Amino acid sequence: MPGSARNTPIAGILFGVALLAVWEAVSRFGFVEPAFLPAPSTVASTLYEMILQRDLLWHAGVSTTRVWTAFIIAAAMAIPLGVIMGSFPVVGRALEPTIDFIRYLPVPALVPLSIIWFGVGEATKLFLLWLGTFFQLVLLVADDVRRVPHEYQEVAATLGASRRRSLLDVSVPAMLPTLVDNLRVTLGWCWSYVIVAEIVAADSGIGFVIWQARRFFKTPEVMAGVVAIGIIGLATDQTLRWLHWRWFAYLRR
Amino acid sequence: MSKRFAGFGEQHDVVAQFNLSIAKGEIVVFLGPSGCGKTTLMRMAGGLETPTAGAIKLNGVPLGLPDRRRGMVFQSYSSYPWLTVEQNVAFGMRYRRDMTAAAKRERTRHYLQVVGLTEHAGAYPNRISGGMRQRVAIARTLAAGSEILLMDEPFGALDAQRREVLQIELRRILQIETKTIIFVTHDVEEAAFLADRVVVFTRRPARILSIINIASRFGPERTLALRDSQAFFELRNELLAIVRSTAEEERAA
Repeated sequence: MPGSARNTPIAGILFGVALLAVWEAVSRFGFVEPAFLPAPSTVASTLYEMILQRDLLWHAGVSTTRVWTAFIIAAAMAIPLGVIMGSFPVVGRALEPTIDFIRYLPVPALVPLSIIWFGVGEATKLFLLWLGTFFQLVLLVADDVRRVPHEYQEVAATLGASRRRSLLDVSVPAMLPTLVDNLRVTLGWCWSYVIVAEIVAADSGIGFVIWQARRFFKTPEVMAGVVAIGIIGLATDQTLRWLHWRWFAYLRR
Repeated sequence: MSKRFAGFGEQHDVVAQFNLSIAKGEIVVFLGPSGCGKTTLMRMAGGLETPTAGAIKLNGVPLGLPDRRRGMVFQSYSSYPWLTVEQNVAFGMRYRRDMTAAAKRERTRHYLQVVGLTEHAGAYPNRISGGMRQRVAIARTLAAGSEILLMDEPFGALDAQRREVLQIELRRILQIETKTIIFVTHDVEEAAFLADRVVVFTRRPARILSIINIASRFGPERTLALRDSQAFFELRNELLAIVRSTAEEERAA
């Protein structure tokens, strides 16, 4: 996993290219109605057109900003709370059932409620994204802290560290690699929620673009929007993996 | 000067009616079957667990929570993977306010040299051998200035040759630095080779089955030659017979 950045990406690229070739062939030779499955070449040229004429990059920027704003707020709240929950069993036991309950509520089910509370503006979208991320992340962080080997804190304690110091000096650095992994995964979820939020209530963002295109049955545009999300997702994920690989080089043997 | 160990353990009676005094500078090995309670006893000495009844005293004063006087060396997770060898050793003094930064640096360098890790100062623990990682932990505890080293099967995960090297090393280091050691193991030869006194435990609840004075036979210097000697072989067999008798007793019961 973390070490894979060094392995050549040839296998992954080959598979992607093969898949595209099959897809292209399937639509080119008329196995499927182009209105249902346009060829990748059509999707690519549509994507290019949308960037030039339909402000797709701006919409992508809007979605990305929404994702990162909500994600940073959620992480900034979830990390400290999760660390406290994981380190102090009483706090963990007190909060866990409630958080678990909320965590299992599907975000789309809360869209109506969110609109009643916050209207159809930015606040609703940020709230939905926060909702989908914060409660997941807080439990993951709490578990990460709990998984830190007890020896680490015990050594610190015998060296004269207070509970608080050993939390900051030992538990936090010990859990950091898994924390970054969990952030990467939850950021991906955040992207699903932003599309949901933009489809339901928005006049901007990639979700909005996709939904507009669907109304006019412009399948290539729908697919181009989807591909745009995929590209952003892939780029973000690979960047975070690379950072993980760089920052946590000490984990490699 | 003496340390008195007087504890009445129970709960599931992990340690029962235990009474032992350890002299300053003595190396006492707790030998017993896995899960017999010897580790619990050592953890109580370190302040990581509290005796249910009785007290553990240092110089006549009951001991409480962990502090720098008692340093731990665990079998695994004994060093922090995100710190270099040098930083790990320096971590031993992290919470000492009575030393200047320069003094800490000097002391770090000194103990790196004592355990023979000067050349690996900049390496991360994952990049060095298991034996070296245990040296890091020993150096850290020495740098911290602990009077008592509590070692919980520290060489248990090493192969036979590395283990032997480290046993000789440990004895050598202890001739330079007078430390009191409680060393937990289930390896009869290791006990015979390292100890001034071996305390053989029964199965749970841990009781003292027998105390064998080895210092009076072999003195402080332990070499490979001793290890290959007839006298050592006899002692080993003697210890083995005692350990086996506990197993037989249990089978009979």
